Amino acid sequence: MVIKLIALPLIAFVIGIFFLGLFRKITARIHRRYGPPLTQPVIDIIKLFYQKSVSHGRLFDFGIIVSLAGSLAVILFLPFAGICPLESSGGLLVIAYLLLFAPLGIALSGGEAANPNISIGISRKLILSLGYEVPLILILLAVMTHYKTISIAQIVSMQQKTGWAVFSAPLFLSGISYILILPAMLGVRPFDIASAPQEISSGVKVEYGGKFLALATIEHAFHLFIGISLFVNLFLGGGNVFVFFLKMIFVFIAGVFVHSVFPRFRTEQAVKYLWGWPALIALLGLVLAVTVK
Amino acid sequence: MVVSPVLLIAVPLLLAFIAPLCGKAAKYIPPAGALFNLILSVILIPTVLKSPMIVSIGGFPPPFCINLFVGPLGIFFAALISLAGFLISIYALSYIRERAVGKYHTLYLLLLTGATGVVLTGDIFNLFVFYEILCISSYALTAHNAHWHRHGTEAAVKYLIQGSVGSAFILLAIGMLYGFFGTLNMADLAKHIARAHSSVLFIPLTFFIAGFGVEAAIFPLNAWLPDAHSVSPAPISAIFSGIAIEIGVYAIMRVVFTLFGAPLSVMSVLLIVGLLTLLVGEICAFRQNNIKRMSAYSSIGQIGLIVFAFGLATKSGITAGLFQITSHALSKILLFLTIGYMIYSIRMKNYPDKYVTEIEINSLNGLGKKMPLTSLGFAIAAFSLIGFPPFIGFSSKLLIVKAALLKGGIYAVLMGIALIATVIEGAYFLKVVQGIYFRKGEVEGIKENNVFILVPFFILAALIIFAGIYPGILTKILNSSSGELLNRIGYIGRLPG
Amino acid sequence: MTLKILLLTAFGGAFVTYFLGKVSSKLRNYFAVFVSLTLFVAVACLYGKSAENFSYFKFFGNTLVLRVNSLSWFFAAAVSAFGALSVIFSLDYMKGKENLDFYYMMMLLVNAAMLGIVFAADLVSFFVFWEIMSWSTFLLISYSGKNALPAGIKYIVMSLIGSMAMFFGILSIYVNFHTLIISEIARGIVSASSGYKIFILVLFGVTFGIKSAVMPLHTWLPDAYTESPTPFSAVLSGMLTRMGVYGFLLFFYVVAGASFFFDIDAGISKFNYILCWLGAITIVIPTFIAMLQNDAKKLLAWHGIGQGGYMILGIAFGTSLGLAGGILHTLNYSICIVLLFMSVGAVEYRCGGVRDLNSLGGLIKKMPVAFAGALLGISGLIGLPLTNSFVSKWLIYKTLILKSHPFLAFAALIGTWGTILSVYKFLHNNFLGELPEKYENIRKSPVSMQIPIIILSSAILLFGILPGIPLKVINTIITSFGFNSLNVNLWGIASETGTLNTINIFTAILIAGSVIWMLFRVGKKSFPVTQDDNYAAGAYVPAGKYNYTADFYAPLFKIVKPYLMDFADKFFGWLCRVFTGFSEGVRKIYAGDVGYYVLYILFFAALLFFVQSGGKSW
Repeated sequence: MVIKLIALPLIAFVIGIFFLGLFRKITARIHRRYGPPLTQPVIDIIKLFYQKSVSHGRLFDFGIIVSLAGSLAVILFLPFAGICPLESSGGLLVIAYLLLFAPLGIALSGGEAANPNISIGISRKLILSLGYEVPLILILLAVMTHYKTISIAQIVSMQQKTGWAVFSAPLFLSGISYILILPAMLGVRPFDIASAPQEISSGVKVEYGGKFLALATIEHAFHLFIGISLFVNLFLGGGNVFVFFLKMIFVFIAGVFVHSVFPRFRTEQAVKYLWGWPALIALLGLVLAVTVK
Repeated sequence: MVVSPVLLIAVPLLLAFIAPLCGKAAKYIPPAGALFNLILSVILIPTVLKSPMIVSIGGFPPPFCINLFVGPLGIFFAALISLAGFLISIYALSYIRERAVGKYHTLYLLLLTGATGVVLTGDIFNLFVFYEILCISSYALTAHNAHWHRHGTEAAVKYLIQGSVGSAFILLAIGMLYGFFGTLNMADLAKHIARAHSSVLFIPLTFFIAGFGVEAAIFPLNAWLPDAHSVSPAPISAIFSGIAIEIGVYAIMRVVFTLFGAPLSVMSVLLIVGLLTLLVGEICAFRQNNIKRMSAYSSIGQIGLIVFAFGLATKSGITAGLFQITSHALSKILLFLTIGYMIYSIRMKNYPDKYVTEIEINSLNGLGKKMPLTSLGFAIAAFSLIGFPPFIGFSSKLLIVKAALLKGGIYAVLMGIALIATVIEGAYFLKVVQGIYFRKGEVEGIKENNVFILVPFFILAALIIFAGIYPGILTKILNSSSGELLNRIGYIGRLPG
Repeated sequence: MTLKILLLTAFGGAFVTYFLGKVSSKLRNYFAVFVSLTLFVAVACLYGKSAENFSYFKFFGNTLVLRVNSLSWFFAAAVSAFGALSVIFSLDYMKGKENLDFYYMMMLLVNAAMLGIVFAADLVSFFVFWEIMSWSTFLLISYSGKNALPAGIKYIVMSLIGSMAMFFGILSIYVNFHTLIISEIARGIVSASSGYKIFILVLFGVTFGIKSAVMPLHTWLPDAYTESPTPFSAVLSGMLTRMGVYGFLLFFYVVAGASFFFDIDAGISKFNYILCWLGAITIVIPTFIAMLQNDAKKLLAWHGIGQGGYMILGIAFGTSLGLAGGILHTLNYSICIVLLFMSVGAVEYRCGGVRDLNSLGGLIKKMPVAFAGALLGISGLIGLPLTNSFVSKWLIYKTLILKSHPFLAFAALIGTWGTILSVYKFLHNNFLGELPEKYENIRKSPVSMQIPIIILSSAILLFGILPGIPLKVINTIITSFGFNSLNVNLWGIASETGTLNTINIFTAILIAGSVIWMLFRVGKKSFPVTQDDNYAAGAYVPAGKYNYTADFYAPLFKIVKPYLMDFADKFFGWLCRVFTGFSEGVRKIYAGDVGYYVLYILFFAALLFFVQSGGKSW
């Protein structure tokens, strides 16, 4: 139990950081560049911890801690290849809620500074999240209704009996919808409106330097891990450590490809997209899940 | 028999004609007379509750003489009239100061005499006579301020014309009955009518309703009321609203129940008419800008509710109607008196040389701070009329709704419609309450310090609250009153001689 | 007897307060606080007691009865607690305003009336206290004058419609079952026909629907909440509106009885599902309308409607879990919204009555307590884990999902995400971002405001981490309704299909937080800078231009605004205009020409004549 509690965040950290490195490498290759080494994010983080930073006040510090703590807590509730130390504590609903800590923490932290870029970033982030939550909730509900449980561990174990959810009759629409909104959840292009570096200087992170930026980077890594691992758990049937990791990489690389070739949406375009096809498909998926037993 | 109920009529009548002789002291005569009546009727209540008192006047044996029938219903009304008369006359001590003061007191006492006579008499022609005394003094009182502007005269003449048409109907009806049966004694008449199989008896009944209906202000016979109630000075408006129109309702009910035995077709018509009166009254009140007209229309609405309750023609319905009469009398008198005092104070400040009896609702804005007691009185009266607990209006509404539901079926549906009126009532009264308390107005320099005016407020408000919390004190007399009205055989059985 | 004395104290205290005010305003304030605290203590002492039939009065020969049981205790405790806190909050907030004697009297009167409602064991007492509550609320809403006046009228008219429906229903029950005592009616109503049951439930549904602002009967609420004096807004949102929820519980589960309530078939669907869907609509639409608001109190007011939907949804859905969730949410939401109104009140008090979200900002450093209150309040409203509402919402979602009603669950969940947007706007535009120059010299909120804020904030955390405290009471309530008992322990609920363990969540976050904090300490120390010392990506931004609050969600509004209209309000407005026009027409009957009037008399006589001659009734 204790080992699991310590091991799981470490695994998540390693995978998340690896994804960050991979992300830059693949993007660079698609752009016909060489790209930084895979370990670059680790080097960055260590370096950032030793750099100077400014703080706008207590909430500025507190917010980033809450944000990262939230992500860390989610990881403890989310099974990774069957490892889930806190599975019996509220299930998917708790995860859905705990996911809120990360963006809210960062938003609060940024709020104490008076930088308009931060406010715009927060506003965009919240709008975007409302955008993808509509299909996401429909998807989650379809899954929970189909398997008649709110426990994510049980959902995984049932899939191991009956096959991947994404290929099962009632849930394939939900799976498709999930794939359509995954970029928005991960905040990659075309949905990187909240952190658009060229427009609003990375939005909420504009005031971060030094260890703040380091923590924000770790948070980003966790975020990638959570988003992808949730998909693998819910729709791709989990698996043992190796299979689970492979599935994650597969999903991630697909996401990076999308990121590399698309331009950025405007905020309202993003919402319109998310409330269009993905929401519709998710809705149909839910209807399917309710009707097909 | 301790005292004769004849005194209830004789004393005010006598005092009415003494009043003009007393010069400056005349204003103390109405309170004295009303107080005497109040005490007397309260003393009589226990006796009357045991068995009704029949007093013959004129030396002939019944049914040829004029007789008084002092039953629970009569004594209840007599007590209510004298209570209202007493409180209003105290208020008038300092309120009525200008012009025709002497005449006012005479007419006021005559009005009380007429009202008391109507409810106590056992003779239909005698009833008509007292009714006319009531009406004629009302016409004259309406014109009380005719010296100052012509609205008073206009309203009085309109009232007079309509009232006369009504009286003519009544007289015709009485004449017909006398022609059919050769008697005027109500018990005797009732006996005859109960036995008769004539198919023309509906004609006098129709005429009675149309005639008394004018004074009772049922729709559509009530067009005189908004004018008469709003132009006259506050004490007069109060006695009109609180007593006079209720006497009209009493007369209708006495005729319909006692003489004609409440045939279903009439009761259904009365029920519908009551409902229409209620709705039309409240809807009209909703759009009034003039506070007194608004209250006058509200009286129409309340009368509608009373008639509706009587129209149910069950014991609980009649008891509820009587309760509503009490509740309306107390609340509406308080309402008119407080409005009157507000208008008086505003007038004294703004136009001391004009005679203003009507005022826009907006002018009352902000008075809550300057005249706290008066405003409180207004609020209590308004709340009671709307039917908020713990005021008396709530108890009466409760009885009415209960009575309608006891009867069930279509009556319950009609009751549901009638309750809509409460919402409308709430909307317009509470707007005024808001204005008085929470709006800012130009009311500097207004004070309330007249004890004679404030004492009636206090008594009325106390009664409204007390009877609202302990409605049980009224149930005994009201139950036997409604029993009297329904027990036609008993009434006939009391035929003297 | 104790209940009688308690209510006497409550009502008597209100009037005594008024007269003490004539002597000394200080004395009055202390006395008001004393009375409200006494009531709270007295109610708290009744914990766990269950007793029927304290007959206290006779009304038209009917004995009026009081009773205490877990349901009434639960609501009474909340009422008296919020009442006391609001009175304390008023001390500074109302200082210097007019008619304070009246204000305090009415605050205590409303409080007393609500206590009366929850302790009433017969329908007449219930109605009497209900009406006293309605009119005293009306007076308090109107208290501020100006814009408050139409709000007050709107409230009282809707409330009267509801009361009349209830009045009719109560007397109909009385006439049919010959009793007013709730427990006796509950026994008698079993034999009633199903048509009659629907009739009664619809009547009471209208009453309580209006009071608890279920769409489309909610239209009185936004104005009333916004225009009331803020401490009263807190009472209004906290408990008064929730008297509707109490009414629903009382009539559906005590009077009508659970088995009865679910068996009714109202044509297309079961009665309670219709109510569920109304609840769901009530969650979604108002929450999104709230986003559009720029007045802080109005924003909260719309949430007042929206969160009410969860309670109705939970209660009407009617499983043990849902019911427990609905009742618990009533308490939790109340704590949050009272706290939020108090934060707004503190800001309003210090900023000279400004509530406009477009012109405030950056108050966090100036008013840290108010900020902390607002932060916890919004977290509670969202239902973040570790705050109280998380538990209640979790219960509701869970039961909806497990009973295969995902569309209801979707409404509930999407409502939560809508809530996040609007309450974050509330928090950000009040407390975060740049501090406008004119508020440089704002002082902290006064102690009398800080005390309630701190108490409520701690309550949010306490009930969030140890939800078993209120759930134990709620468990006795739902078992008294005849539902299965829940397996409640201090830190959550255990059940076969997924347990909730708030202690686990708490520990997880606490440990994660400490780890991150240590990591944070390891890094190089940061140095503090002022708020305006910002990186503007090389652009020049003049001082005072950093504030970004107006049109916070502009891109979203472009999409959603056309759909977010308060159709019900528009419809009622139209109805009012129609009625006004109609009454103008009716008024013309009295045209002023005496000739017509005489004609009316003659026509009436003729009509009567006609009817009677045709009737030939004897």
